[in-house]
Amino acid sequence: MGPDREPPAPTIVSLSDEDLMARVAEEDERAFSELVRRYQTRVMNLISRVLNDREASDDLAQEVFVRVFVHRRNYRRGSKLSTWVFTIAANLAKNEIRRRVRRRNWFSLDALQESLNDSTSVLADPTEGRERTLEREQVQQEIGRAIATIPEKYRLSLVLRDVEGLAYEDIAQVLGIPGGTVRSRINRARSMLKRKLQPMVRRDDRA
Amino acid sequence: MRNCSRARAWFGAYWDDEITQAEREWLEAHFAACPKCRSEYDVLARTLESVATLPRIEAAPDFTERTLARVRRATPAADRLALPRPAWQPVAVAASLLVIAGTLLAPFAGRLAQGPIAHRMAPPEARLVATPAPGSLAAREPAPAVAPSRAPQSQEQVAALVDSLIDHGEDVDFVLDPVRVGHERTASRRLEPAQGRQAVISF
Repeated sequence: MGPDREPPAPTIVSLSDEDLMARVAEEDERAFSELVRRYQTRVMNLISRVLNDREASDDLAQEVFVRVFVHRRNYRRGSKLSTWVFTIAANLAKNEIRRRVRRRNWFSLDALQESLNDSTSVLADPTEGRERTLEREQVQQEIGRAIATIPEKYRLSLVLRDVEGLAYEDIAQVLGIPGGTVRSRINRARSMLKRKLQPMVRRDDRA
Repeated sequence: MRNCSRARAWFGAYWDDEITQAEREWLEAHFAACPKCRSEYDVLARTLESVATLPRIEAAPDFTERTLARVRRATPAADRLALPRPAWQPVAVAASLLVIAGTLLAPFAGRLAQGPIAHRMAPPEARLVATPAPGSLAAREPAPAVAPSRAPQSQEQVAALVDSLIDHGEDVDFVLDPVRVGHERTASRRLEPAQGRQAVISF
């Protein structure tokens, strides 16, 4: 009978988020690489939907992971890693929105609303023979822009809930606000978005 | 009208399916009786559906690699912040001022002293700040005063001294950046602040 063999060490990809983070805390580069791989799409999607700016989102998403690594020892084992990562992402996105507002390096909400109205009227009268894909992409762009016109505090809640599908209690943790506030912000954000997209939705009804 | 307000307050919870059975039944009964509320809810539902079905925005294929590279660059920077940077500043400033003062006073120095250049340029006297070996006892002593023990005796001599700093390609090492030193010698993090030996100007 041969000697007892130790069970094989779990591969990086099979590690739970917590175990992965424990390895990241020990500066295991492979573990960190796996963490980036696991979360990059969700982080990228969240930031892109909040900022409606893909180029800036790539840079900001990288910064999220830099901060995850730099603050790796601040992660409390037992808490949800996704919530922690989203907290960092939401804070960076919030800062970026505020920076843009401060520098006025961003189109004004009025201009955006105008462009939204213009585009909606184009959508309301689609040219015959227009490719379906193009139309769908345009609609998606309009939705993205409409989300970007919602004030920041409502926008973040909306994206976390309706784009990322986070539970209310997780959103409350990510944003550091009470659950009741999360609900009221999401309700308000949804009402705003509904008003903005109403012409498009009604046009689709008629089509 | 009052029922409509109540119904609309529940739209979000209804969409999220976070509503009690009794509330659901009440709301659905209201929808059956109130086409306006039903239509309003329908617009909201279509709006949220369209948001939920937005395509995921994928990261670029090289995202992970670029992120790792950025983390590698950023990590030393984080360490840098921990260094006692202010402790360097007075020493560095003093050293810079001495170099400037030496250059400005060079025309007058020749009147004060005389002697062969070779003698004046002897290594121990030529050092502005002694550089003791790391870890040696001397390293714990404060650095000697930043001044040559004997002033150069002529303008020509001082010029030769300055010239030796610049033109002879010798090892002129102005270590004014605590960051670099901190990474090369991790022990420097534990150094007590304001020790003269950290400001090395040697040649």
